[in-house]
Amino acid sequence: MKKQISNLSLNRVEGEVELKLQKDKNGVIEDAFITAYNFRGFEDILKGKDLLDTLVITPRICGICGHSHLTANVNAIENLYRENGFNIEVTQKAKIIRQLTQCSEIIQNHIKWFYLFVMPDFLKLDPSEKFVEYRPFTGKHWKNALKISSDIIKIVAIFGGQWPHTSYSLPGGITSDPLKTDLVEAMSIVDSTLKFVESNIIGIDAESYLSMADYQEFMNKTSGGSLKDFIELSFKNGMEKIGKSYGHFITVSNVYPCIQEAVIKKKRCKFNIKKVKEVKESSGYSIVQPVRYDGLPMETGPLARRLTSNTDLFVNLNSVFSDSYLVRVWARVDEIVRILVNMKDWISKIKLSEKSYIKPKDYKLLSGVALGLTEAARGSLIHRIEVSKGKIVDYNIITPTVWNLGPRCKNYRGVAEKAIVGIDNDLKAQMVLRSFDVCSVCLVH
Amino acid sequence: MESLKVRRKSLIWISGLTCNGNSHSFLSSSSLSFDAFLNSVNILFHPALTYDREFKDIYKDILEGKLKLDFLIVEGAVSKKKTKVYFQGFDIYEILENLKNIAEYIIAVGNCASFGNFPALYSEDVVGLNFRFNQRNGFFEGDFTTKSGMPIINISGCPAHPEWIIKTVLSLSYGYDLKLGSLQRPKDFYMYLTHDGCTRNQYFEWKVEAEEFGTKEGCLFYYLGCRGPLTHSSCNKILWNDKSSKTRAGMPCIGCTEFDFPLRGKYFETKLNIGIPEEVPLGVSKRAYIMLSGVAKTFTNHRLKGKLEEAD
Repeated sequence: MKKQISNLSLNRVEGEVELKLQKDKNGVIEDAFITAYNFRGFEDILKGKDLLDTLVITPRICGICGHSHLTANVNAIENLYRENGFNIEVTQKAKIIRQLTQCSEIIQNHIKWFYLFVMPDFLKLDPSEKFVEYRPFTGKHWKNALKISSDIIKIVAIFGGQWPHTSYSLPGGITSDPLKTDLVEAMSIVDSTLKFVESNIIGIDAESYLSMADYQEFMNKTSGGSLKDFIELSFKNGMEKIGKSYGHFITVSNVYPCIQEAVIKKKRCKFNIKKVKEVKESSGYSIVQPVRYDGLPMETGPLARRLTSNTDLFVNLNSVFSDSYLVRVWARVDEIVRILVNMKDWISKIKLSEKSYIKPKDYKLLSGVALGLTEAARGSLIHRIEVSKGKIVDYNIITPTVWNLGPRCKNYRGVAEKAIVGIDNDLKAQMVLRSFDVCSVCLVH
Repeated sequence: MESLKVRRKSLIWISGLTCNGNSHSFLSSSSLSFDAFLNSVNILFHPALTYDREFKDIYKDILEGKLKLDFLIVEGAVSKKKTKVYFQGFDIYEILENLKNIAEYIIAVGNCASFGNFPALYSEDVVGLNFRFNQRNGFFEGDFTTKSGMPIINISGCPAHPEWIIKTVLSLSYGYDLKLGSLQRPKDFYMYLTHDGCTRNQYFEWKVEAEEFGTKEGCLFYYLGCRGPLTHSSCNKILWNDKSSKTRAGMPCIGCTEFDFPLRGKYFETKLNIGIPEEVPLGVSKRAYIMLSGVAKTFTNHRLKGKLEEAD
């Protein structure tokens, strides 16, 4: 019998992605190829631009993680000041507010992704009325998720004016000078979001949830909620057995106290930026160049962050179910809780008497190369700028999606491609791809 | 006006060269508006929302006349060449050609679909639906109109505000005429300037200028690049995320609703010519602006001299 090929165009992902599956005679996937379309040429557009103008341009690479691009961009410019021997001072106030707004964007992303992109797949696997509340447009959970994700993102508007696409963070600090009542409002939003997460997603108070060490304990203690529904549906459909990739993980920066940078190959080791390399070879089916760490493919994102941060629950889940669909999706949901519980503490540490912005030296004095790293919703994001007298000579961006969904190199398939091989069902192959929170917009920029 | 109890209007949302920021802006609307939208509009397909039917099936039904298409929403720039931009496996060139005489209304959402925006900087063939920047040589050229008799409706902005998107579609659904400006944007939203409603208006009036970022005080127009008095938008009338706006948060307006947004640059500084902004507020001559500023500066508004919270 001839080998079968399926070409699937995905919806419920960010952007335009095609998944080509090559199957054996029994319908088992032997190989998978991920192709993203709609190249916009951002890195070319950035050439010759004024350094500060990049702060307006790079967030527009991605409509859902624009703030992370802004942060990586600002970090790169602030590092360039240091490389040039200039002191650049940023107050704690500005640093905390930047982190707070960026993390609001991450939470917004995860809530939307889980309810709009992940759960509807199970409606296809199980069309019974039991999960009717997850149905797009009409289901209660679906509607609540949209409401909550648009609530939490108001925190970006309070400090940054709007979401998506603010450029309120810039070298030297932030543009806004918030009031006490702005802080109170942000706290109220965090409170109500956390309440929603506790009652609708994890079914238990956040503190108890975060103290759990294994999945059985969670299943015993939760009073129910979307995470439990998800776990049960995953087991019912064998999703704890599929979606496994290389088990290599990378996190390139810290978010105190919930995310720690590190690399996991066979063992956990220190992250070294010098080992990050874009492979200059054509895969033949993707315009994206693969990125490797020490020559190896790496998964980045919430699951990587849980493992590089040594979180008991996930070290445990990983030892039992490894990097399967179940664990990868759970890690994304888990991150909502883990970040949210810290946000009130961050807000309470903002000292409004500090300056929002301390004007640095003229950016036109800057030349050289610098890097800006940050953690975006989908994982580690790296911006590299090469500058001559305040103008961009070269702008290179490695997005989380390049790590996860980038193509194969001579030695290794891409991380998501590897996770799909061996599956015998098109829908499940798509689900595994979605578990990486696909963003082709970032992949091809 | 038609009866409000008519069938829900149908809509499909397709994307070209885009960051999806308009989709996410749309999804961040208030639940009140979003519910009103869902009550009046049947979203046959949106790449992030629908799950039960594939685009190819809905597309086929529309082409065969089995489904009526009231609104075709396009997010993102497109190309005048074939095989460059894809949507759900189809060449978007082909989708637009096939639907141009079928959809009652075609709405360009965001600056990419309206004017080409940043993607148009990369390639000559990348365009908005009716415009490339301010030239009528977009994908559809000249005075193209859809079945309803309306031209392409542009909801510009990078991104477009969710209320502008929702209220435009709802107004048309309810049978209201929408008056459009020269760039085919609904006057209801774009007859205002970003400046209108800015909390820094007094500083503008009395020419008290912010020289650095990070304060509540001072107008951002003179030194910090703010395009508020030059940009058509209702950002300070219909607030973002129901909360604020860029200028309220101390960030200069970057003029992202205008066709020349990607062409301008210098977003954080005002181009000055012998100490005077090269571009003055819309509708005013340079001479008038200089005279009025001079007069304002000779007087002091004592409330605006120091920190706002210290003023009586």
